[in-house]
Amino acid sequence: MERADLTTPLASGALAGAPAEIDEVDLVPVRTYWQMVRERFMQHRLAVMSLVILAVLIVFSIAVPALTGDAYRRSNLAYVDAGPSLTAPLGYNEIGQNQSVALMKATQNSLIIGFVSVLIIGSIGSLVGSIAGYAGGWVDNLLMRAVDVVLSLPFFFLILIIVAFFGVGDVRVIIIAIGITGWTVAARLVRAEFLRIREADYVQAARALGVGHRRIIVRHMLPSAMAPLVVACALGVADAIITEAALSYLGFGIARPEPSLGNMLNNAREYFYANPERIFYPGILLILLVLCASFLGDGLRDALDPRQKVKA
Amino acid sequence: MTGDNGRFATPGGDLLGIEDLRTYFYTRDGVVKAVDGVSFVIGNGRTLGLVGESGCGKSITALSVMRLIERPGRIETGAIRLGDLDLLALDEEQMRGVRGARISMIFQEPMTSLNPVFTCGDQISEAITVHESIGRTEASERTIEMLAQVGIPDAKRRAHEYPHQLSGGMRQRVMIAMALSTHPELLIADEPTTALDVTIQAQILELMKELRERNRMAIMLITHDLGVIAEMADDVVVMYAGKVVEQADAFTVFERSHHPYTRGLLASIPRLGVKRERLEVIRGVVPNPLNLPAGCLFKRRCAYAMAICDNPPPFREVADGHLSRCWLTPAGEPPSVGAEADPETAAAAAAELSMEA
Amino acid sequence: MSETFTPPAPAPAAAAGPGGTLLEVRDLVKHFEIRGGLLGVSRIGAVRAVDGVSFFVRKGETLGLVGESGCGKTTLGKVILSLIPATSGSVAVNGKTVFDIPAKEQRRQGRKKVTVGRVEMKELRRDLQVVFQDPYGSLNPRMTVGEIVGEGPLVHGLKDKAKREELVRELLAKVGLNQSHIHRYPHEFSGGQRQRIGIARALALNPDFVVCDEPVSALDVSIQSQVLNLLDDLQQELGLTYLFIAHNLAVVEHISDRVGVMYVGKLVELAGVDELYQRPGHPYSVALLSAIPDPNPRRRKRRLVLKGDIPSPANPPAGCRFHTRCWLRERLGNPERCVAEEPLLRDLGGGHVAACHFSDEISPEVVAQAIGLATA
Repeated sequence: MERADLTTPLASGALAGAPAEIDEVDLVPVRTYWQMVRERFMQHRLAVMSLVILAVLIVFSIAVPALTGDAYRRSNLAYVDAGPSLTAPLGYNEIGQNQSVALMKATQNSLIIGFVSVLIIGSIGSLVGSIAGYAGGWVDNLLMRAVDVVLSLPFFFLILIIVAFFGVGDVRVIIIAIGITGWTVAARLVRAEFLRIREADYVQAARALGVGHRRIIVRHMLPSAMAPLVVACALGVADAIITEAALSYLGFGIARPEPSLGNMLNNAREYFYANPERIFYPGILLILLVLCASFLGDGLRDALDPRQKVKA
Repeated sequence: MTGDNGRFATPGGDLLGIEDLRTYFYTRDGVVKAVDGVSFVIGNGRTLGLVGESGCGKSITALSVMRLIERPGRIETGAIRLGDLDLLALDEEQMRGVRGARISMIFQEPMTSLNPVFTCGDQISEAITVHESIGRTEASERTIEMLAQVGIPDAKRRAHEYPHQLSGGMRQRVMIAMALSTHPELLIADEPTTALDVTIQAQILELMKELRERNRMAIMLITHDLGVIAEMADDVVVMYAGKVVEQADAFTVFERSHHPYTRGLLASIPRLGVKRERLEVIRGVVPNPLNLPAGCLFKRRCAYAMAICDNPPPFREVADGHLSRCWLTPAGEPPSVGAEADPETAAAAAAELSMEA
Repeated sequence: MSETFTPPAPAPAAAAGPGGTLLEVRDLVKHFEIRGGLLGVSRIGAVRAVDGVSFFVRKGETLGLVGESGCGKTTLGKVILSLIPATSGSVAVNGKTVFDIPAKEQRRQGRKKVTVGRVEMKELRRDLQVVFQDPYGSLNPRMTVGEIVGEGPLVHGLKDKAKREELVRELLAKVGLNQSHIHRYPHEFSGGQRQRIGIARALALNPDFVVCDEPVSALDVSIQSQVLNLLDDLQQELGLTYLFIAHNLAVVEHISDRVGVMYVGKLVELAGVDELYQRPGHPYSVALLSAIPDPNPRRRKRRLVLKGDIPSPANPPAGCRFHTRCWLRERLGNPERCVAEEPLLRDLGGGHVAACHFSDEISPEVVAQAIGLATA
C-alpha cells in the first residue's frame, strides 16, 4: 500500500481547498457497474444453476432437431409403443414417434415462443411505458387508460379467441397473441421507473446541462428502468411457456404432428395407466423450464438491485 | 476526581456503564468493526453527548445498549451495566422488560419510526400497557397527559390522529411522548433533531430540557451537530471509526480539546458571528471500515502525524476526567519515547499510559 | 456564442468583484396544482410554493437564500434554472430575458408571454449551472466520472474524444480530484468526492452563474469545510456568481455577500450578510438566528422559541404569513394590520429590505425582552 507523500505539491490548477489525499478509491480495483452486477448474480447459486440448466436445454433443443431433421414427425409403425433404446432413450409413442426427439423439438418450440413473445412484450411495453412516464400529463393519462382497457380483458380467453380466429397451430399467431396481450405489465413497470427517475437529481442535472430529450431517455433513464423490466421478462418467459402449453393442451395451440409440451401432455392423458412416463417427460421438462426461468429472474433482480451494497 | 478506569466522576452515581464494547458486522466483504472497544459511563440525571460523523459507530453503540443488533452484526464482547443489571446477560424476554421501560429510544426519522396504520394515541398507550398492567382507560388518560406535556395542543383530539396527519415536529413530539410514557431512567436520542427545521429543532430541544428537568432523566444524545451537543450535553464522548478518541465534560471538550480530530472539527465548522476568510479543513476522508489503517485510525488525516502513529495510541488521561486517544502529550508534544519509536517500545509505552484494561 | 471550448480560466481582473446585474428575478410565482375530483382532473387547490419573489444578483457576488421547509427556496432555484416551468413572473440572465410569463391580470392588460426558443435555451444553459444537494443521487451510477463531467461539452458540440478527455482531466484537477479516476464509477467515491465531481460537471461549460442547492448539507461535518473552501476558491479564480441555497445559517453567513430569507413562498428579508446577521429587520429572521445552537457551552442562551408549526404552502395564513407565530405581533398586542394587510418589502436603508409592518420596533432590547431575559 503506497503512502501519499504529504509534501507532494498538488496537481497544477488544483486549489488548496482540495487537498491531495491517500485516495481510498485507489485501494480498490476498478469495478464497472456490470462487473458488480455479475458478482452479485454469481452469489445466487440457484440462479446460476438455473442459467446452466437453461443453457444446456437450449443447446439440446437446437442441436437435436438440427441433427435429426424431421425425425420427430416420422412415425414408424414398426416401433409402436416400443421401449427405450439407444437412439430413443425415452421410447416411442403409440404411433411410433421417437419421444426424445419429439421432446427436444417441443422444448425448442416452447423456448422460441417464450423468448420471442417476451421480446414483443418488452418492446411494446418499454415504448409505451417510457413515453407515458417521460411525457406525463394527458399523454400519460391517455396511454394508461389504454393499458387499463387491455388489462380488463381476460388474457387467456383473448389469446384463445385470437388464435382460434387467425389460425390454430400457427406458431407466429401464438407469439403475437401472447405479445399483444401481455405488454401492459411491462408498460406499467417501465412507466413507474420513469416517473421515479424523472425526478432524480442526475436527470435534472442533465437537463440543466442542455442535454436533449432523446439522449436523456436513452442514456439516463432507460438503463435504470431496464433492471425491473429484465426481471419481469425472465418471469414472463416462464409465463409464456405455460400459456403456450395450456393452449396446446386444450387443442388451440400447436397441433399434432408438430410436438409441443402441451399437446404431448394432452396425448399422454389417455395413456396414463399404461404408460405413465409419457406424462412425466413433458411435465418435468415444463416444470424445469418454468422453474429455471423464475430463479433466473430472482437472481437477476437481486443482482441488478443497487441497494444490495452493505452499509458500513 | 477520577473514578477508576479514568471515567467521568459522576456525582450522583452511574446509571449506565459501558465497558470495552465491541460490536462487529460479518459482511460478505469482510468484518466491519463498527464499535471497537468503547467504554464510558452516563451518570444519573446527566446528559452524555455522543459525537461523531457517519460511520463512527455512535448509532451502533446505542443499538448495542438496547440489544437491537441483528445479523450480520453481533456484540462480541463487553459489558453494559444498567445500575446493577448486566444487560448482556439478560435473555430476550428480560431485555424486553428493560426496553421501553427503563431505557427508551427516539430516532431521527419520526415518519418511519411511527407505525402509519395506528393512531398516535394507540401507539403511546401500547407502550404503556406493554410494560405496566393498567387498564385501557387509565392508559388513555396517561397518553393524553403525555401528549399535553410534550406540548401538543388539543391533545385529546390529536391522540386520534395518524402520523401522516402531523408535521415533522409534532411527530417527533409524539415519539418523545411515547418514549417517556413509562418514565424511563435513560433516554437514548439518536439524531432527534437532525431532520427538523431550525425553529422546530429549537422547540424540541427546549422540550427535552424541560422534560429532563422534570423527570430527572439521563440522556444519551447522539448527533453530529456540535451546536446541539454544546446546548444539551454535560459530558461529551467523541467517536471516530469505531473508537472513542476523546471524552470529557462539555466545557473541556469545547474549550480545551486535545485530540486533533476534535480540534479539527471544532475549527472547521462555520460559526455564527465569526467571519473567516477560509475555513479550517480536516483533509482526507473517513477510512473505509474494511480497510482501516494500522495504528492510529486518524493518522492519514492528522496534521500532527508522526512515525509512532503507526502503532495504536494509548487512551490516556490528559487532565482530570479528560481522556484522549493520541500519542501527543497533554501539552501537545511528541511522546517521551520519541516520535520515531520502534513497535515494541511504542507498545510498552502505550500499555503504560493507557487507561483501558 | 462560439462553439469553442475553453476550460474555465481565471477571470480577467476587470470583472473581479461585484459588477453589473447577472440575474434578475421579478414577481416569480410557482403554484403546484392539487388535482382531485372524479376523474382526477379538477383543480381543487394549489401549493403556492413560490408566491411572488423578486430580487437580483450582481456579477461576482454570492446571494445566500435561507429558509425552512416549505419556504420554496429549492423550487425557486429550479424555476430559475428552467427545470420547472414558472406559473408567472420573469427571469433575465445577463440582461437577456429567459422567460416572462404574465399573470392573469397582466394578460388581460395585453402583456404577452415571452420564452426563449429551444436552441437559445440550450445556449443559455451554458451560463446557468447547478450543483445539487444529494451526492448519491446527483450522479448517474451507470456512467463513468469522465462521461458525467464530459457530457455537457459533448452535447454542446465538443465531439472530439481526446479533447473532451483533456478538458475533463483539467476540471477534475481543478476540483481536487485525482485525474486517474476518470474511468471510475460514482459508487466508488465518498460523498465529498462525489460533490466535487458534481462541481466539476457544473464548471465544464464555463458558466457565469451557479445555483448551489444545499451543496454541503448531506456531507459530513469534516468534509463540509473542504467543499465550502473549494467553492470559495473557484468563485474567486473563475469569477463565478452563486445563488447559495441552504438551511444552515452559519454556512450561509460564511459564504454569502447578501442573504435573502424566505418563509412560506415569500421573500421576507434581503440584506447584506453582516447587516442581516447583526440587525435583522424581520421577526422571523430574528427567530431563525436565535434558534441556532451555538457550539459553545458557555453561551447556552435562552432562545426565542416560536410556537406552532410552519404553515403549509397549500394553505398560507392571511395577510402576513408569519403572523401566526410572530413573537413581535404578540408583544405589540396582536395588531389587526398583520392579518388584514400583507406587508411588502420595505426599504430599511442601504439596500436592506424587509417585509414587516413593524420592522422599526425590532431592537436588541425588544428581542431580549421577548426571550425573557432582560427587564424592560
